[in-house]
Amino acid sequence: MNKFFHLDFPEQRDIMMVVILIFGILIFASLLFFIIGKLKPQANLSELKSRTRSWWIMASLVLAAVLINTTLSYVAMAMLSFIAFRELYSVLGFRESDRRAIFWAYVSIPVQYYLAYIGWYGAFIIFIPVVMFLCLPMRMVLKGDTVGIIKSMSSLHWILMLTVFGLSHMAYLLSLPDLPGFTSGGRGLLLFLVFLTEINDVMQFTWGKLLGRHKIIPKVSPNKTWEGFIGGVISTTLIGYGLGFLTPLSDLQVLFVSFMISVSGFVGDVVMSSVKRDIGIKDMGATIPGHGGILDRIDSLAYTTPVFFHLIYYIAY
Amino acid sequence: MQRIILWFTHSVVGWVFLRFFVGVRFDQCKFLLQEKQFIIVANHNSHLDTMTILASLPWKLIGKVKPVAAADHFGKTKTKAKLSNYFINTLLIQRKRDKENPGNDPIHTMIKALDEGYSLILFPEGTRGEAEVQQPLKPGVALVLSKRPSVKYVPAYMKGMGKAMPKSDSLIVPHASSILYGRPALIRSNDVTDILQQIEADMNTLKDKH
Repeated sequence: MNKFFHLDFPEQRDIMMVVILIFGILIFASLLFFIIGKLKPQANLSELKSRTRSWWIMASLVLAAVLINTTLSYVAMAMLSFIAFRELYSVLGFRESDRRAIFWAYVSIPVQYYLAYIGWYGAFIIFIPVVMFLCLPMRMVLKGDTVGIIKSMSSLHWILMLTVFGLSHMAYLLSLPDLPGFTSGGRGLLLFLVFLTEINDVMQFTWGKLLGRHKIIPKVSPNKTWEGFIGGVISTTLIGYGLGFLTPLSDLQVLFVSFMISVSGFVGDVVMSSVKRDIGIKDMGATIPGHGGILDRIDSLAYTTPVFFHLIYYIAY
Repeated sequence: MQRIILWFTHSVVGWVFLRFFVGVRFDQCKFLLQEKQFIIVANHNSHLDTMTILASLPWKLIGKVKPVAAADHFGKTKTKAKLSNYFINTLLIQRKRDKENPGNDPIHTMIKALDEGYSLILFPEGTRGEAEVQQPLKPGVALVLSKRPSVKYVPAYMKGMGKAMPKSDSLIVPHASSILYGRPALIRSNDVTDILQQIEADMNTLKDKH
């Protein structure tokens, strides 16, 4: 029971500070849009407002999962992968003969998160990119339908990589061993990663809106500008530096890791944009109001998570 | 008692399963409460179709709406017929018309159920077809509507279910799906071909909305 209701977070001062900070930002944003809405009724804020509302829900869910009960967090993150997987595979148009292989790809989700849960690093790191990547094509071949099989094989691999393998590193953060003198532990790292990734999205968006002029990759994402990118990278790196107490890293290392989160977050964002552009859709679904689908929200996480994890793992563990 | 069991299997267990596991996006259908009686006319690709429609119904309509099903499939044995009548509240019909024997005639059976006050769920494509491919509508629905022109029909269109659970395979592989309801409408003519055209046009409008 004690393992299930793990309520020691009020004692964790570092984590509590960030929690208060997050809700502070949300309250500030809600108040800001409310006041602007009153002062300038003609301004179109509905998108920003519904985005803020979604942030409230998401922040509460993430924090509840991270803080209250660590065992439940693994389940919650596995469900996140499940929904993201379903969303992406549903729009990619697989053949009917791929169904069995896709079924096994679904099965790999709980297995991968279980491996993270028991903290078996060797198996965790090869299960999807070696075991699944070799077995899933075999399942398709057994079905015998070779027309279009390359597309199915490679799309399925890429979906697993984006929505399961990358994200499951979030769960493994919670399974990392304790370091002497580092109290926040895996939950601190997870909070650092998620907060920085999302704030990076917001910062790149805000700087782009304020100063954006020179487009980076107009063919993929017409709203992405050099100003937004550079402004985002600088602010995220600085904010990451300020939150360094959540990690076991030195100042210089925190700056570098935050910089890498910012850059890889941008890459994840545009990679997902290009996928959407190829299929010809704007949003991935309508799971979260104002945000499109789950995938539109965690596109950058799919990239920042493995990058952050392996940097941390190399430097500190 | 049957109502509570129907509500629990479809509106609770079925809804949660469809919404969170399969990934079905439901559409509001509270407007059905304003109709005294109706026939839901839907496309058919999967067993999940019936489950989805039943799960989306408001509590007041549970037990009053009967999905029409083929007797040779759902009523193969007496036990199977009893089970589907109890747990899905089906109205079992023969696929072929039988004019000499009104008790066996599908049109007669459906009209009888309407006269008893039930609403119906009907898949005029007949059997489940290939995913996202619409088959020609069978005239049964038009024959029923032309005999009871005061009953409104409600078009419904579902997408993705045929991918989550197609006819050829009983394994459910979650696939984002959705259901959309159209407005209830009366038939504009008494001619079978005209009615079928009217319904097909409504279905195509819904299909484009997805």
